[in-house]
Amino acid sequence: MKPLTLAVVSAGLTEPSSTRMLADRLAGAVTGALADDRQVEVTVVELRELAVDIANNLVTGFPGPRLGAALEAVTSADGLIAVTPIFTASYSGLFKSFFDVLDNKALAGKPVAIAATGGTARHSLALEHALRPMFAYLRAVVVPTAVFAAPEDWASQDADSLAARIDRAAGELAQLLTGHTAAAEESDVVVPFEEQLAAVRRGG
Amino acid sequence: MPRILALSGSPSPTIRTEAVLTHLVGRLRAQAHRVALTPVRELPPGPLLSADTAHPDIAAVAGAVGASDGIIVASPVYKAAYSGLLKSLLDLLPQYAFDGKIVLPLATGGSLAHVLAIDYALRPVLQSLGAEHVTSGHFLLDRHIRVTGHGVSLDPEAEAPLRSAVDGFSVALHRRARLAVAS
Repeated sequence: MKPLTLAVVSAGLTEPSSTRMLADRLAGAVTGALADDRQVEVTVVELRELAVDIANNLVTGFPGPRLGAALEAVTSADGLIAVTPIFTASYSGLFKSFFDVLDNKALAGKPVAIAATGGTARHSLALEHALRPMFAYLRAVVVPTAVFAAPEDWASQDADSLAARIDRAAGELAQLLTGHTAAAEESDVVVPFEEQLAAVRRGG
Repeated sequence: MPRILALSGSPSPTIRTEAVLTHLVGRLRAQAHRVALTPVRELPPGPLLSADTAHPDIAAVAGAVGASDGIIVASPVYKAAYSGLLKSLLDLLPQYAFDGKIVLPLATGGSLAHVLAIDYALRPVLQSLGAEHVTSGHFLLDRHIRVTGHGVSLDPEAEAPLRSAVDGFSVALHRRARLAVAS
């Protein structure tokens, strides 16, 4: 079977960056969740390296070759992981600018996991109030779990720790990518209609 | 005389956002304000998008924001929100750059379906920069703005509510200046 393609967009500004680290953890978790099922080819798009190309595209309306390749990788991928640092209660300008130059139809129907890093957990809801609406506008299918990582999360061992949230979001994305959902697996056990009717007659 | 800085988040000089801002600058000057206009697209793209706050042009804008009493933040609506270009400048300002300032949000877009982008996307960002008062904003439909040789001509349907938003901002600034003198 052809490998699944997963694009990872990271808008971290430093090298190394916690945003990129979160993106890599999510990509690894998705690949792991699908290990028995499908091979996954991961393409990482580091927006920091494309900053000037993105600015030029905003002004001229045309992507250069490097940005063109990145936009194509995102458009043609089976799934997307998008990770941004949070500044002033929202995605970064670099992150938004990349999606501004992406075609309006590029993400339609595409499974997407969203994640963010920030200096404090106070801005966790930026994922729900800024990122999710933008991807909804682009008609992407965003998984229910959005992952926020504050500095103290990286070392935490709580049950609802960062690792658990990464696994949950990655599991949800993996299910969308292969078309199996937990609900669909449960409904594999089909009780024939006659049997159900008989059970009702028996008062069962 | 209150000082106003108008920030345009439009990537193109021919786009209507900026033409409208230029139009408003005239009106505000006539109402005794000192007004400067900064189009974000004229800032060096590399430092802007890679958050280089040390670059002299970026530092100059941050300084101008700090020295202003009022800020106009104008953006075209892209993907149901403000432009990434505008946000990249806001990202470079100090955390509470709008502390004690009066802010007027403006947006332009192709469809009335995006009017709420001002209140749902832009306003929370302005608030998080510590703005003291974000006045009633205004959304302008692209088709109500006609860029002419001499500036801009607005559809009468759009002109009145835009004036009322701008005059409300102007009054708030003068009121605040009077209070500052009195105290």
